[in-house]
Amino acid sequence: MNDPGRLTRRSLSPRLSVYRWQPAMIASLAHRVSGLILVLFVPLYLWILHGMTGSTDDFERMQQWLHSGLGRLSLWFVGVALFYHFCNGLRFLSIDAGWCESRMMMRLSARVVIAMAGVAALLLAVLLLG
Amino acid sequence: MKLIKEPGSARSGFRDWYLQRLSAVVLAVLLPLSFVVLILVYTGHLDQFGLLDIVDNFVSRLLHTILIIALIVHAYMGLKVMIEDYVPVIGWRVSLIGGMLVLMSGFGIWWLAIIWAWGG
Repeated sequence: MNDPGRLTRRSLSPRLSVYRWQPAMIASLAHRVSGLILVLFVPLYLWILHGMTGSTDDFERMQQWLHSGLGRLSLWFVGVALFYHFCNGLRFLSIDAGWCESRMMMRLSARVVIAMAGVAALLLAVLLLG
Repeated sequence: MKLIKEPGSARSGFRDWYLQRLSAVVLAVLLPLSFVVLILVYTGHLDQFGLLDIVDNFVSRLLHTILIIALIVHAYMGLKVMIEDYVPVIGWRVSLIGGMLVLMSGFGIWWLAIIWAWGG
């Protein structure tokens, strides 16, 4: 703790203002953002669980809310965040295991995962609006 | 090198990293199942009694418990890393991580209480 001011007052990674934006960096940041979204929706999961485990009225109320505009939007956010976090999580695990570790493969897989999430977002929107 | 040894340093780094991956593997298997159940409830393919049939037995409860524990470990490790990266002031950092731990434990206990009490 000789010089805490200089050492600690900066963010460590990924340093947004320093590096040029690359697919792998976007994938990493999106992993954090989607993880944060999934955590922020925790009260909703508890409420849904309450509706599922409660009385028939509770269940009906939960179903009605899920089919409302806000409910569908929430399901879309959670679904897309979960799908992306899942796919990119598998990508991270494979990189940790030593597969597809080259710079080119990491960039390519980042693009693939982001594109898959885009398609999933569209499909889920169609499903929820239909 | 002395400078680096402060709260949030790399002392427990490998254990955290390992737990993060271990919980990720558990979640990768169990979480899609729960999401499918949620979608089936949403679309009406599964009513409340059908749901009870699936969840109201020992194996489901055990899997559900493992899921919640892995979820809390994973979310805790992930948010902790984010806070350590983007919250530079030590006081804030420690308070946020502590508050998060309390909230997540509370959430987990509440959730498990519902799961194990359900159906009776």
